[in-house]
Amino acid sequence: MAVEQGIREGEMRGIFDGLLDKFGFALARMGGAGLQRKGPLGSVYLMQLIPNVLIVVFGTIVMWSASLTMVDASFPRHLGGIAIGFACAALVWAYDYRVFSGKSTLLLIIDIVLMLLPSVPGLGYNAMGMTGWVQVPLIGLRAQPSELAKPVTILLMASLTAEYNGRIETLRDYLKLCGVLCVPFVLILTQPDLGTGLIVLVLGASIIVCGGANSRWVLVTVGIIVVGAIVVVASSMTEGLPSILKQYQINRLVVFVDPSVDPTGNGYNLQQAKIAVGSGGLFGKGIGNASQAGGGFLPEAHTDFVFALLAEEFGFVGSMLLLFLFGWMILATVGLALRVESTFGKLVLVGVASMWAFQLLQNVGMCIGIMPITGIPLPFVSFGSSSMISQMVSAGLVQSVWHYRTKAG
Amino acid sequence: MTLTNIIIALIIILLLSLVGLYVFYSRSDDEKLKMDIGGTAPRAAGGNDSSAGNGIRTRLLGLGLCIVAVVGTLVGRLWSMQLVSNDEYSEQAEQNRTRTISLVAPRGRILDRNGNELVGNRPALTVVSKPDVVENPIEVKLLANLIGMPAAAVRRKIQDQSEGAQSDRTVAQDVSRRVVAFIGEHPYLFEGVSVEERTARHYPYGQLAAHVVGYTGTVTREQLEESEKSTDQGAIVYQAGDTVGQAGVEYEYENVLQGVRGEQSVHVDANGVVSEYSTLVEPQSGSDVILTIDATVQQAAEESLGRIIENIRKKVSPRCCAGSVIAMDVTNGEILAMASAPTYSPNIFVGGISNDDWETLQSEASANPLMNRAIAGQYPSASTIKPLSAFAALDNRICDARSKFDCTGWWTGFGVASGQYCWKQSGHGEMTLESGITFSCDVVFYEIGKGFFESNNPEKFQEKLREWGLGSLTDVDLPGEGKGRVPDADWKWNYYTNAADVDRQWKGGDFTNLAIGQGDLLVTPIQMLCAYAGIATGGSQWRPHVLRSIRSRTGTGSVIDYEPQLLREVHEDPAYLSLVLRGLQGAIYEESEWIALHFNNMKERVAGKSGTGEQVGKNPTAWYIAFAPAQNPRYAVVSTIEDATWASGSALYVTRDVLGALFGEPDDALVAISDMQVAD
Repeated sequence: MAVEQGIREGEMRGIFDGLLDKFGFALARMGGAGLQRKGPLGSVYLMQLIPNVLIVVFGTIVMWSASLTMVDASFPRHLGGIAIGFACAALVWAYDYRVFSGKSTLLLIIDIVLMLLPSVPGLGYNAMGMTGWVQVPLIGLRAQPSELAKPVTILLMASLTAEYNGRIETLRDYLKLCGVLCVPFVLILTQPDLGTGLIVLVLGASIIVCGGANSRWVLVTVGIIVVGAIVVVASSMTEGLPSILKQYQINRLVVFVDPSVDPTGNGYNLQQAKIAVGSGGLFGKGIGNASQAGGGFLPEAHTDFVFALLAEEFGFVGSMLLLFLFGWMILATVGLALRVESTFGKLVLVGVASMWAFQLLQNVGMCIGIMPITGIPLPFVSFGSSSMISQMVSAGLVQSVWHYRTKAG
Repeated sequence: MTLTNIIIALIIILLLSLVGLYVFYSRSDDEKLKMDIGGTAPRAAGGNDSSAGNGIRTRLLGLGLCIVAVVGTLVGRLWSMQLVSNDEYSEQAEQNRTRTISLVAPRGRILDRNGNELVGNRPALTVVSKPDVVENPIEVKLLANLIGMPAAAVRRKIQDQSEGAQSDRTVAQDVSRRVVAFIGEHPYLFEGVSVEERTARHYPYGQLAAHVVGYTGTVTREQLEESEKSTDQGAIVYQAGDTVGQAGVEYEYENVLQGVRGEQSVHVDANGVVSEYSTLVEPQSGSDVILTIDATVQQAAEESLGRIIENIRKKVSPRCCAGSVIAMDVTNGEILAMASAPTYSPNIFVGGISNDDWETLQSEASANPLMNRAIAGQYPSASTIKPLSAFAALDNRICDARSKFDCTGWWTGFGVASGQYCWKQSGHGEMTLESGITFSCDVVFYEIGKGFFESNNPEKFQEKLREWGLGSLTDVDLPGEGKGRVPDADWKWNYYTNAADVDRQWKGGDFTNLAIGQGDLLVTPIQMLCAYAGIATGGSQWRPHVLRSIRSRTGTGSVIDYEPQLLREVHEDPAYLSLVLRGLQGAIYEESEWIALHFNNMKERVAGKSGTGEQVGKNPTAWYIAFAPAQNPRYAVVSTIEDATWASGSALYVTRDVLGALFGEPDDALVAISDMQVAD
């Protein structure tokens, strides 16, 4: 019996491995075709660049239509964000990313300083319920440093994890990595910005897991996080126990479970977003014809709920196009990770890919009611220059990994 | 940001800087800025270990699968939302931006018989507000300053839920164009406040015929529920805030006056700003109601009633303030004038009556001005019942036209112990039934009461009174009519349940009281008017009514006329009728020279009867009922004055003035209140 079962398990694993191999082969071809490619565009990773440019163009069209009806959606500022972001991306691309692998202390310090900037007197800008903003004195320019901290955290975690070269063999080492990751995570939580905190946690965890962490430890960690989250939520929702979550966060969770609870507050936002997406139909209502967004029923149509606007104007076809471009870009990034030699490079790509995937899931998911509402922007599309620059820098990192794929350090 | 946070942040930054500086300067160049956490750095990063971990490839593939799963989930969900459930969501999006505005239909007008507008409509600009505006004290204050009302009053109006908990609250009616313009130009200051053009009731004749036309008010919760439950075809379905008739003709003919609301669909944005107008259903105006009331006669009636009451109050009875008068066409029941004192102004109900006004109208001191005493006032009929008592006596052979009665002023038919005075204590001498009516001799009717008491079937008396319509509704087309009461043995036994058995029994004294219209008898002025109209026409009582016709204001403007209805036909021997008629004419021309003085100046011969109803704790109620011309009667008039004096001559003036208005022959005889001491 036992032997038979073992054989069957083995067969299953064999079939699974076979499928995985085929998937890996496909991914690797996607990412690695022409790893030795030379020529005028040899230093540019087209498989990531093409979908990325298309996403930016698509987002620009959506933002232009939003600017027709929404005063807050300033089209020139969106274009400005793209321009600055592109310049930063070009700088990063030109720079050898491997330099960062030896600068983990510096990265940690930069990370911490970025996280603490909003708490510095004279810099912090916390008007109108916004948290985690910095206003540069005299110039008046506002930015969200926690956005910029995301690529820094990717580099930090990748450089530390890469030191183990795919073999994190003692619990001590695993805990050290988790401990470092907790530094930016906890600092973001104190701003408080749970959304960005979760992104940092997910991308850091992806790097640690892909970096070779023992799967048993990972499962135990996930278990602890789940139990901890349940305790936090339960304690916040129970009268008399300390409330760790803010009231609005509890409301969002309640509404996520049952949107009919509060049709005018948080539930209203969710309901309006779903109506916008659903009423888009196959081809959408056309640019400028979105009654949900244009009539003001859909809140934050140019920032957090930008996907709902896109889905209303461009319909199923438009949302499929966006998902296809994102899928292409992210899988091409993973594919490149399969092929590059450097462990540090692999892990940087893992961080970027998991960040994009998580933000995509979270942002689109909240518009269609499969994720709770959080203020996470859709990469390259949502209005907001901090996010745009940070995402462009991340894309620049992917390009830099390609650029310096072959040269030995 | 608290000071503690700042200090902590500064300390952390300082410490980190020190650590950073220490690390930077304590290491060799290669190790600078590098955190050594014990791993073996890969070759690519300048380390020595070139063996890649075996696990990385599998984990990367797992990450790839996760990404595929994420995208797949999103695709699946979008498929179901955008393609499968698209209709449902599209409908919700449409609902979101579509609002239906209901267009109020103008209410029908109320006209007098000659087409004079008693009640019309005028446009009224109304400031309305959403209920939650009350939570913004600055906005309330601004609004109060703009309208010129105290902020507390504005707050109270916005909190008033009488128009429905969710509906907009009426803040001020009839605001000026300046107010409207200011609100329009500063929408950001007055969020949730808007201006609506509504129509308001307009009374060109002021409070003329107030009790007939009645007043309108905001639909009550009960009326709303009733209209929602109604299953009648074409029944009006009210919305909160609708204006509906609450009294008089406004109430009685509500379903005619009320128009049919129109509807308009509009596209709005999330703030309710209209971007596009679409389908429109025009409102249909309510129909005009044309009354039988003649504004001229009505004016004369009200003026006279008011003037006589004022005189009595000044000179005789200081608490006198109430009374009524009705003028009716006896040939078809049309009411040409109907007034009740004290009166009120229907205008104070326009746009909702204030609490203060309402309390004033309800207070005892104001003597219930909302009550239409002409149909709802219930009094002992006093001597005006005597013609009916005479019919009862003649029909039941209690006496006949030749019977003689001797009035000494003191009647002892039931023994000396229960002796009763005639109103004329010096006595009338020898009387017949006819002269008993003319001189209103009580002794004649005491004898009739005694005759019934001693007959085999005494309650034939009450039967006769009921036959003439006492104790039942006249079915006049106005709300709130009183039924009156014809007392009998059963009633008395059941009514005085707390009294001793001997006092509950019907006695001879009850009959003598009934025969002269005193005691427990209660009648309304309109009942007595109908009874006298029956005498005038020889037995036909037409249903009294104020509706003449209804004229549609839409379509062809068709007119529906009121068809007169026979209320009841009383059969009396023509000889008896003429006996009573002679007696009633005698009461005008023979009883006293002084009364005759007021009627000799009329071309038409008049028949009439006075009455003075005794009231406990008050001065008596004065009655005067008359009809003319006596031979071919056309109009009958009844007047009552409460708390008047021992002188029905007071009511006589009102009746005479109304007859004067009807026939165009005003009373030019001198009226002196001191004269009022003469009659009854």
